[in-house]
Amino acid sequence: MNIEEYISSGVLEAYALGELSPQEMAEVNEHLLKYPALREELKRIEETQEELLMKAAIQPPVSGKAKLFKTIESTGTVRALPLPDNGKTIRWKYAVAASVVLAMVASYFAFDYRGRWLASEENLSELIAQNQQIARDYNNVHNRLEKIESDLQISNDPSFERIVLKGTAAAPDAMASVFWNAETQEVYLSIRNLKSLARENQYQLWAIVDGKPVDAGVFDVSGTNGLLAMKTIRGASAFAVTIEPRGGRTSPTLETMQVIGEVVG
Amino acid sequence: MSENELVSRLKSRDRRALEYLYDHYSGAIYGVINRIVRTESASEEVLQDVFLRIWDRMHDYDPNKGRLFTWMLRIARNQAIDKTRSKELMNERKSKDLDNFVDSTDSATFVEQKTESIGVAEILNDLSAEQKFVVEYLYFKGYSQSELAEEFNIPLGTVKTRLRLAMKELRSLIKVV
Repeated sequence: MNIEEYISSGVLEAYALGELSPQEMAEVNEHLLKYPALREELKRIEETQEELLMKAAIQPPVSGKAKLFKTIESTGTVRALPLPDNGKTIRWKYAVAASVVLAMVASYFAFDYRGRWLASEENLSELIAQNQQIARDYNNVHNRLEKIESDLQISNDPSFERIVLKGTAAAPDAMASVFWNAETQEVYLSIRNLKSLARENQYQLWAIVDGKPVDAGVFDVSGTNGLLAMKTIRGASAFAVTIEPRGGRTSPTLETMQVIGEVVG
Repeated sequence: MSENELVSRLKSRDRRALEYLYDHYSGAIYGVINRIVRTESASEEVLQDVFLRIWDRMHDYDPNKGRLFTWMLRIARNQAIDKTRSKELMNERKSKDLDNFVDSTDSATFVEQKTESIGVAEILNDLSAEQKFVVEYLYFKGYSQSELAEEFNIPLGTVKTRLRLAMKELRSLIKVV
């Protein structure tokens, strides 16, 4: 290698200024070990640079020094430990220890938070279910209230005639009422006491119009509340209920008649 | 204290040696940092980081590869340049550049202001215009060699040889002063 040429390229100045890449620096370091003339030249460059920058010094704020030593003291326990030679390994061990601790702490939190998350998930679905139940209950109550209100309106309405149907010999304890509006022909049935029937049977309401039975609709006892709206009837003189096969019949089975009542007015 | 003694005491983590190092070099190092990052608060921060790093990394320093100051200068320049790349400072620096635009275009005034020193401006005035230019930009304006080459359209090799000649010239000038 031509040392003069190498020096005059300015590579040593760049080295002294810290301008070289790690690879370039390694290369210069290698040459420095080999050639004393390069070391001499570098030393002169460094001294010039140092001298120049010392002359161009700017005094930093006075508080800086105390601050620096405070920082060094406060982290002293860790920094005091490593000896220059094995500093790297100790630092490395600390890093490993720190990351293990960090991992443990992190997994604890992950576990803990997962638990909390599951618990809150459970609470949430329970609350949603409760909420739905309350909404259903509210709707039921609301519907029942509306039904009661409209039933009350019908039973209090003077244009409805109330016909009490009393038990026949076949069912002496049976009892029901019909609310009939002769003008609008609306018919409502109120069950007071009728026995429950087998699944294949149903009650059927009849109106006696001009001496003949007219179908006024079938009904079940179980699951009914308040007034049942029946078929419209014109000019009835009496109402009666019989037990018929499910779906009803065109003419009543008289032997199964449960209740009967005449229209007074 | 000789440099050898200072280094061996620093390597054995002698705090009084660090104190000596700070008393002796913090001004020069702060000057280097300040000319790169330009704002006082950021310069202070970087100065702290640089000395902490020197203290922490003393075992990395190899006297065969150069003087202690050269090693410190390298750390300071790198930290300062890293700082300028952080976003907040970029913005701060931009607005400052506009404020100081008139001053900084006049490079002689700029160096005088920034160095606060007796003689540096005079010494630089004894260099040729070309040489003065590279020394100013590389040592007092926080430019890297490649930045200088790019911004002023000078081949990188030329920047290097000019600095080489300037340093050679300065060597005799400084010895004389």
